[in-house]
Amino acid sequence: MLLQTVFLAFFGLAAIWFAVVVFRTSSMVRSALALLFSQAAIGTMFLAMQTEFLGVLQIMMMATEMAIMAIFMVMYMMDPGGLSGMDMTHQKRVSIAAGVLGTAVAVGTALLVDWGPIAGVPRPGAQVHDLGIELMERSMLIFETAGVTILTAMVATTAIAIGPRGPRGGVDD
Amino acid sequence: MAPLYVALLVGAVLFGVGLYGALSQTNLVMIMMGVEVMLGGAMVNLVAFWRFLHPETYSGQMFVLIVMTVMALEMAVGFGVGTGRFRAKGSVEMEEARDLKG
Repeated sequence: MLLQTVFLAFFGLAAIWFAVVVFRTSSMVRSALALLFSQAAIGTMFLAMQTEFLGVLQIMMMATEMAIMAIFMVMYMMDPGGLSGMDMTHQKRVSIAAGVLGTAVAVGTALLVDWGPIAGVPRPGAQVHDLGIELMERSMLIFETAGVTILTAMVATTAIAIGPRGPRGGVDD
Repeated sequence: MAPLYVALLVGAVLFGVGLYGALSQTNLVMIMMGVEVMLGGAMVNLVAFWRFLHPETYSGQMFVLIVMTVMALEMAVGFGVGTGRFRAKGSVEMEEARDLKG
């Protein structure tokens, strides 16, 4: 339990540190890499909590997702290298106040609630088996709905990204 | 109880950092990064609740899978909107986006 707490604290601090770096650095590539490291640290926290399947899934998903994000950032940002020192923030005081308030409420809830006793954890193989059964039985409808939602989002995203064409006029016309 | 509290505190701070990022940034991609950090904090909490309180029911892990799906969809739709905006206006700065006309 002590070792688990130490690992959780270490990777938790790493996740927080890299999440802060995301909004502190002016280089967009560094920003994307910091988010990748933050999400990877969260995945490692999952592993420290003996949730192997979700931990590996998180690290793999975020590695690809952030690589794609870095490409989009370089494409769309006016100053991707951050060399001109542009300030791309607004309403700083309100944002800091909201962030601090959100953290305080969440920390207060975490510390004040009596969560009950700590339970033991199933073996990794049993976890994957039982999660598969959960997905294919009780949560089947949710699982299927997620699949349909992904398909809908893919079609909608492509339609938005292509833009208007034809007699109404579009960018390419 | 110590590991549960550590995980919950990390989740809380990540949520706060993400909230600050989502509210303070003017660029669409950076706003999405803030939302990703917030969802990351939520996932840490969900896994901690499953692992330390109810490991016998797998709804918690299912919930995390759904949040991961939401993260991927948020990125995809966000970049779709960003691409449309960039084609129309040449920028993804959200301070200039006063309407939804594209």
